[in-house]
Amino acid sequence: MRIREVIETINRMQADGVIDRYAIGGAVGATFYLEPVSTLDVDIFTAFRAQSKESLVGLEPIFDYLKARGCSMQGEFIVIAGWPVQFLPATTPLLEEALRDSVTIDVSGVPAHVFTAEHLAAIALQNGRAKDKARLLQFVEAGALDAERFQSILARHDLIDTWKRFEKQFLTP
Amino acid sequence: MSFDLQKMLESKRAFRRKLSSLPVAEKLRMLDDLRERALAIRAASPARAATVREEPPPYRKIDNQ
Repeated sequence: MRIREVIETINRMQADGVIDRYAIGGAVGATFYLEPVSTLDVDIFTAFRAQSKESLVGLEPIFDYLKARGCSMQGEFIVIAGWPVQFLPATTPLLEEALRDSVTIDVSGVPAHVFTAEHLAAIALQNGRAKDKARLLQFVEAGALDAERFQSILARHDLIDTWKRFEKQFLTP
Repeated sequence: MSFDLQKMLESKRAFRRKLSSLPVAEKLRMLDDLRERALAIRAASPARAATVREEPPPYRKIDNQ
């Protein structure tokens, strides 16, 4: 079970032209900026190649590529190096921007493409589940966010009011 | 050992800061270990289903097929 192997596999898949840009999100993405928090799967966001204006390429090419390399399916996940991995399309404006602005972080010689801390925090705010709020608090408490960049993301994606409610609930003494 | 809550909270914060500042490769290794441990605990519990699932975030509701 090794996340590093997952990243290597996805990098190879990108180099082989199966996917375009990708970025790691979710709890694994957050671990690049915060302390590790237990998670069960890896979220990979990617831009699916459009065949035409009307249709997007599905997940089949990804699954076919990985299955040919010994990976197995588990529900909507594909298991790579023991980790269930979910490939998710960046379909909302926030996710599209997060993918476009993702950064490359070196993992002992392996490049990993990851959402920025500010985008991960904004996505957590937008998702709004208890675990997302806990993650957002971690980002704030760790001082991992560039306030100006974070606020501009919130403004662009109509999240200012949601942030104000979050601030009132969790960050006001 | 102290039962001073403020001291304990500060100690926790310091430990979290220390974990956050570890090299990424080391933190990812810790995720591997944490997952193995979580699966072992869940497997030992007969009340749970064999498949471990989390509540999906809203972006997973999108039909991506």
